[in-house]
Amino acid sequence: MPFAVEPGSFRDPAGSVFYLDGRVLRGFDPTGWADFEALAATRFWQRATERGELVKTTAVELATLPEATTKLTGIAGVVEHERIPVVSYPFEWTFSMLRAAALCHLDLLLAGLAEGFTMKDGYAYNLQFRGARPVFIDVGSFTRVQPGEPWAGYRQFCQTMLYPLLLQAHRGVRFQPFLRGAVQGITPQDARGLLRGAGRRAGRRAGVLKHVVLHQAIDARMSGARASDTRKELAAAGFSAELQAATVKAIRKLVAKLSWSEAGKPSTWSDYQRTSTYTDAERERKEAFVERSLAAAAPLGICADLGGNDGTYARIAQRHASYVVTADADAVTVDRLWQRLAAEGNERILPLVVDLTDPSPGLGWRGTERGPLFERLRPDAVLALALVHHLAISGNVPLPALVDWWHGLGGRLVVEFVDPKDPMADRLLANKPAGMHGDYRREVFERLLEQRFEVLDREELPSGTRMLYHAVPR
Amino acid sequence: MRSLAYLDAMSGSMVVQAVVAGVAGIAVFFKLFWRRLTAPFRGRRAAQVEMAESDER
Repeated sequence: MPFAVEPGSFRDPAGSVFYLDGRVLRGFDPTGWADFEALAATRFWQRATERGELVKTTAVELATLPEATTKLTGIAGVVEHERIPVVSYPFEWTFSMLRAAALCHLDLLLAGLAEGFTMKDGYAYNLQFRGARPVFIDVGSFTRVQPGEPWAGYRQFCQTMLYPLLLQAHRGVRFQPFLRGAVQGITPQDARGLLRGAGRRAGRRAGVLKHVVLHQAIDARMSGARASDTRKELAAAGFSAELQAATVKAIRKLVAKLSWSEAGKPSTWSDYQRTSTYTDAERERKEAFVERSLAAAAPLGICADLGGNDGTYARIAQRHASYVVTADADAVTVDRLWQRLAAEGNERILPLVVDLTDPSPGLGWRGTERGPLFERLRPDAVLALALVHHLAISGNVPLPALVDWWHGLGGRLVVEFVDPKDPMADRLLANKPAGMHGDYRREVFERLLEQRFEVLDREELPSGTRMLYHAVPR
Repeated sequence: MRSLAYLDAMSGSMVVQAVVAGVAGIAVFFKLFWRRLTAPFRGRRAAQVEMAESDER
């Protein structure tokens, strides 16, 4: 009976997530269970679940579970959640993805408030993506609204969603390193420093004055106040559930109008498919190779397209795998891909921003609260097309280390080797001292690949400078 | 009923929400600070009654 407690689910004593034989379960204590039962009877819950905004959740008969699981911290009730194929974190999302997730969070809170429910938190990690669609997973977050109380999760929402969005919208600073740097996000103090001056320029001030400057100023002034006293004072001064809804509506309006100006400009890789040195014939041959390699192994579970660019090959992979994750370091390209996929309602391709030479590590409490990317992503097939020369030449990753990495991922591999004579590789080599990458040769690559993998198929593209391989781990 | 919030919502982060809420909220915001300013002059008894009232909510 494989049983494990989710290491990221311990902060709220009312409930926690655990896994049993591949199922995702959530146990509630008596208070959490009472909230859940009331929640499950609401109209917004039904509606949001049908629309896919809320993770699909069903109550489980306690008697059907092994005793060891129900003994956990006095469980009063258990629910089962639909499994999210690959768990991703906010620092792997683009601006538009974080914004969509924030809007999903706020819309659910507003729908809840209309029926007497609020949320205990406002955490970016309450959301996941099912393909390009945000889905709220923390069902334990909902609780009945108390008269006179503001939203308890507002600060957390600011730290993990609003400030990161403001930083990128107003300053053009990427939020991902900040969210990866601290699981609780950017504090009001730091946000004020980072956004200093952003309030003065006309048209660039949305949200900064109230949510950053005033928030930080009041926070500093009230740092000694007790939250329980402040709740009573707010209630006595007339704060109501209607005001909580007005607050959330104002935040929603702000988030909806934030935009990232870089998203409209060309980036290093945004025009790659158009400007790359491939001829049409070469592109067709490459697509056909990828298609037949994956088709030979279909049906596949999860396919990882590493260095996926605009998603051309992820779309081919989607025909043969149940779920595709495309990872690329270029946030502009990934953001545009997400926008296209979201417009199509695609729930099977998940685009992520990842620097493959620096993928997400384990974070949070004991480094296990938020797991490393390649523990969450265990692909059955890996695409590494037009990638090796970037990692090996620009990133200085030794070829044996690359092959070892793919082998460790465990799945089959469709890989492209770009010869040093190819214009794209030549351009990268020109940035490095002559002879530094003397081992970057086709024969060396093939020898290393064949040591760890069995090569099932290979093809040279018409240019003569690009090789494709389909291989399975030995 | 006791609050079930597991997070420390932080006083400053709760109070600023009144301003975010718009006109009605700003009135609450000023009322709160006015009551804080005038609390020492309202006397102990008034303050106790007030606390008891809000506890009952």
